[in-house]
Amino acid sequence: MSSTRFRLAGATLALTLLAAAGCSAGEGVDVDGGNGTAAGGVLNAAIGGEPDQLDPHKTSAYYSFQVLENVFDTLVEPDANLEMQPSLATEWTTSDDQLTWTFTLREGVKFSDGTPLTAEDVVYSYNRIIDEKLNTAYKFGTVKSVAASNPTTVVITLSAPTPNLLANLGGFKGVAIVQKANVESGEITTKPIGSGPFAIGGYTSGDNIQLVRNDNYWGERPKLDGVRFTFVSDPTVALQNLRGNEVQWTDNLPPQQVPALLDGDEPTVESVPSTDYWYLALNQARKPYDDVNVRRAIAFALDREAITKAAKFGLATVNQTAIPQNSAFYYEYAPYSHDVNQARQLLDQAGVSDLTMDLMVTSEYPETVTAAQVIASQLEAIGVNVKIRTLDFAQWLDEQGNGNFDSFMLGWLGNIDPDEFYYAQHHSGGTFNFHKYNNPAVDQLLDRARTQTDQGARKQQYEQVAKQIVDDASYIYLYNPDVAQGWSKQVTGYQVRTDRAIRFRDVALTR
Amino acid sequence: MARFVIRRLLQSCVVLLGVTLVVFLLLQLVPGDPVRVALGTRFDPQTYEALRARAGLDQPLVVQYFDYLRRALTGDLGVSFRSGRPVTAIVLERLPATLSLAVTAVLFALVIALPLGIVSAMRSGSFVDHAARVFSQFGVSVPDFWMGIMGILLFAGVLGWLPPSGYVALTEDPARWASHVALPAATVGLVTASILTRFIRSSMLEVLSEDYVRTAEAKGLRTRVVVLRHVLRNALIPVVTVVAVQLASLLGGVIVIEVLFAWPGIGRLTFDAVQARDYPVLQGAVLLVAALFLLVNLLVDILYARLDPRITVK
Repeated sequence: MSSTRFRLAGATLALTLLAAAGCSAGEGVDVDGGNGTAAGGVLNAAIGGEPDQLDPHKTSAYYSFQVLENVFDTLVEPDANLEMQPSLATEWTTSDDQLTWTFTLREGVKFSDGTPLTAEDVVYSYNRIIDEKLNTAYKFGTVKSVAASNPTTVVITLSAPTPNLLANLGGFKGVAIVQKANVESGEITTKPIGSGPFAIGGYTSGDNIQLVRNDNYWGERPKLDGVRFTFVSDPTVALQNLRGNEVQWTDNLPPQQVPALLDGDEPTVESVPSTDYWYLALNQARKPYDDVNVRRAIAFALDREAITKAAKFGLATVNQTAIPQNSAFYYEYAPYSHDVNQARQLLDQAGVSDLTMDLMVTSEYPETVTAAQVIASQLEAIGVNVKIRTLDFAQWLDEQGNGNFDSFMLGWLGNIDPDEFYYAQHHSGGTFNFHKYNNPAVDQLLDRARTQTDQGARKQQYEQVAKQIVDDASYIYLYNPDVAQGWSKQVTGYQVRTDRAIRFRDVALTR
Repeated sequence: MARFVIRRLLQSCVVLLGVTLVVFLLLQLVPGDPVRVALGTRFDPQTYEALRARAGLDQPLVVQYFDYLRRALTGDLGVSFRSGRPVTAIVLERLPATLSLAVTAVLFALVIALPLGIVSAMRSGSFVDHAARVFSQFGVSVPDFWMGIMGILLFAGVLGWLPPSGYVALTEDPARWASHVALPAATVGLVTASILTRFIRSSMLEVLSEDYVRTAEAKGLRTRVVVLRHVLRNALIPVVTVVAVQLASLLGGVIVIEVLFAWPGIGRLTFDAVQARDYPVLQGAVLLVAALFLLVNLLVDILYARLDPRITVK
């Protein structure tokens, strides 16, 4: 076939496509979700996936909390600097022995259905989590009892001093105050009732969740009439939705385009450092990774800047410890300069040569797949042959749980208190110590810092913990990523938060 | 006829029973721990055990299967492991989206493939024939997700004619439904049209060389009559089967396209259920798809009898 004919055929095809799409398109494209009558307007937000359910105590999905952040309240809540501020509780006192905390609740708070929210609801919510061993039960490990001494007073009794109790009770909406009737009717999974700025207005499975303004909200009246969350898993499509004003907000942006978007004008894209950290873990139950010199050799062989550039397109801060720079608990410590000779020497010292290392990553987090390729090429320089294994997340977790790995890369997301950064991961009895790190000195420090009520002493103890963990290369820390979100020019009053909480209560839409 | 339908329905039940067993066993072979996926990154060991028990995953497999079967017989497919909602409701509420996408895509495909296939068979070796072959080669070889993204960039981005993604129910607003279904249906339909064009062309060519066509032409009938009454009617019998198979497989959900266009159909549900290892939902979705497949096949058999009086249903 001649090239002219080929081109003609292509043109015919394009025309057919245009004609076909054009005639089935019907009328114009609706952009405001069909409900643009009221002054405040409805904000359309595209999130990357569908919440599995809306019961804040039973879901662990970030997609759920993106919605629930706007529907529920907690006793206290983190401000922009992640310091705990009053929310449902206006003030609190601690007994001298630090074992009794008394919270005073805001007067006149109502759930969105108009029923009052009292101390009994707080007791019910916390006991539900504790008794039914729901997802956030680990946050109540030291809680002995929760009682309501009157409708606006909640007394929490502890078995040991718990300096991070406020972070546990307010860090995120997984510990929200729910309504007993809503739980018992079973409606909480699809139509939860909270006391937050918005209430659930409708839910179309697979497509969208609509929030409407809660006129019973105790705080400042939200400016928006509602928010409509749609689930768009492809970032290119989500960005297209934002550009076409089908949605006015999204956090599902194609990572490779974010640097250019940050420089651009429309849509507005902003990023802030997050509290997440990404790391490499080596299985210390397997040889030769039980040898600290091998682990340190790998830590020296890595060029973190290059990894960050490839995995996050530069949208991250290199860090050799876990806690990011913007935290009060940040500890500046970076002993591992990128040094191939040092790495080779350490491997020689350990008597290791011709090492083949299995590196497990997951397609659930594409940045681990990209980073793995860079890590593999960097380790090749010190004679370590990396075999990358890419699994789907369910299988990945299975392998991790069974200890079937030499090494893996993953991140910990949404941490606030240093206890969350270290305990479960590095204590020899920690739930998530899958790489079998065991250092009695670290165990002791972690146990002590957990109940240390003097903030200065506590910070110092966690610095010791951080230093030891880095020296032992329990985790080889890589970077703290940024959170990038985008919105249209119409949106005012929105702020990207370092803990990735999505709050629309102060947002307005201009027309 | 009635006896035939009843017998086929009974056979279908046996097939469906087999499907439940095979799916159940296959799921056990798939690595991955649904409890850990559900609990996310932080939890206590006690929380893990409690959820496992609540979901019935600590029961022996045989008990789990017969429990499932017993409830399935009464129409209760269990509850989703992730959302706690009844699977029957979850699966059925996704049906309209998938049905409307599949049917629109097949109609779109027929609108392209029928004229293209017929003309390229009638004018074999002509420009149209070559163009049709290039088209079908293009359609089957270009990945559908790429075609989808290009469609979004062109029609939603550059031209701004269509929304890039999303779904509106046909019953809610037909015009907005149409604007949302256009791109995904065209993407899926293009692939189907490519397959059908080839098939219609070769089926037509075969019939065109039959003796009775030559006879009809020799009798002096006009080409239009020959084609429509003698050729097309006979050529369409095998085509019906292919269209039906295409439709049935589209009813199973077009996973990549549904995910790309944020289309709330069975395909996306299945995809999410696999990711979450939500076994009850996955079983329910597969069961529904199998049932649809059997139903379409039954309809095809009945349609055969209408198209070709020589075929009788026994």
